[in-house]
Amino acid sequence: MTVARFDELIHPSTRLSIVALLAAADWVEFAFVRDQLGLSDSALSKQFSTLEEAGYVSMERPVSDRRRRVRARLTPEGREAFQAHVAALRAIVGSADSASAVL
Amino acid sequence: MEHPVTPAEARAALETVEGGRLRVIDEIDLPSWYWWGLALCWIGLGFIADLNHPWITAAATCAFGAAHSAVAPRVVSGRHRTRRLSVSAAVAGCATPRLVIGGLIALAALTVALGFAANADGARHPATVASVVVAVVIVLGGPRLLAVVRRNAARSATAT
Repeated sequence: MTVARFDELIHPSTRLSIVALLAAADWVEFAFVRDQLGLSDSALSKQFSTLEEAGYVSMERPVSDRRRRVRARLTPEGREAFQAHVAALRAIVGSADSASAVL
Repeated sequence: MEHPVTPAEARAALETVEGGRLRVIDEIDLPSWYWWGLALCWIGLGFIADLNHPWITAAATCAFGAAHSAVAPRVVSGRHRTRRLSVSAAVAGCATPRLVIGGLIALAALTVALGFAANADGARHPATVASVVVAVVIVLGGPRLLAVVRRNAARSATAT
């Protein structure tokens, strides 16, 4: 069972969108994330660097490919942190809903 | 306990999470070349069957089966429509391969039935006629089948 844990690093909207995309995939190409979220290369690189430094994301450059592609994938720690963060968000919403039901 | 965000912010964040999942679900599909290739092979097999050489028909059917077996494991999961991402198995589910393989079996049966019907109707090339009809079903119906898979995946994503 996932333990709810609010993650300050994942929570900012852009980073949350990136991690949510990665969480639903095995790996995602850098360009796909950029196009989906409408970010510039530099803005996305910065977000990925932050996530990579935290150990949440790993970046790969497949050598078999002639085109220069960069793939990002969530590490097991990143996936765990994301699931814990989602559980924390659900708990916040759930406690607010039950409080309003009591009133 | 003091929450780091308000319930409204948490709800908005959960919507962002779901949005990300839905974007990936949109990518569940088979490459279009698969449907076109399948349709062309189907017509080819129908044409060969009309030549009335059982050994050639059997050999062509085996070759088709072998080629499909080589290609199918990489594509029928619906997780690799493009080379831009690989949809996770948990999100893609196992419905796509079942539907595609089940659909192929149903289409094979349909081809045989249509072939007999065309033959009874006096068609000169019944197998070709039947396979062309089924090829049209493949090209038009295949992408629609995957649209159903995506809708179901999106529904289950919303439900969880």
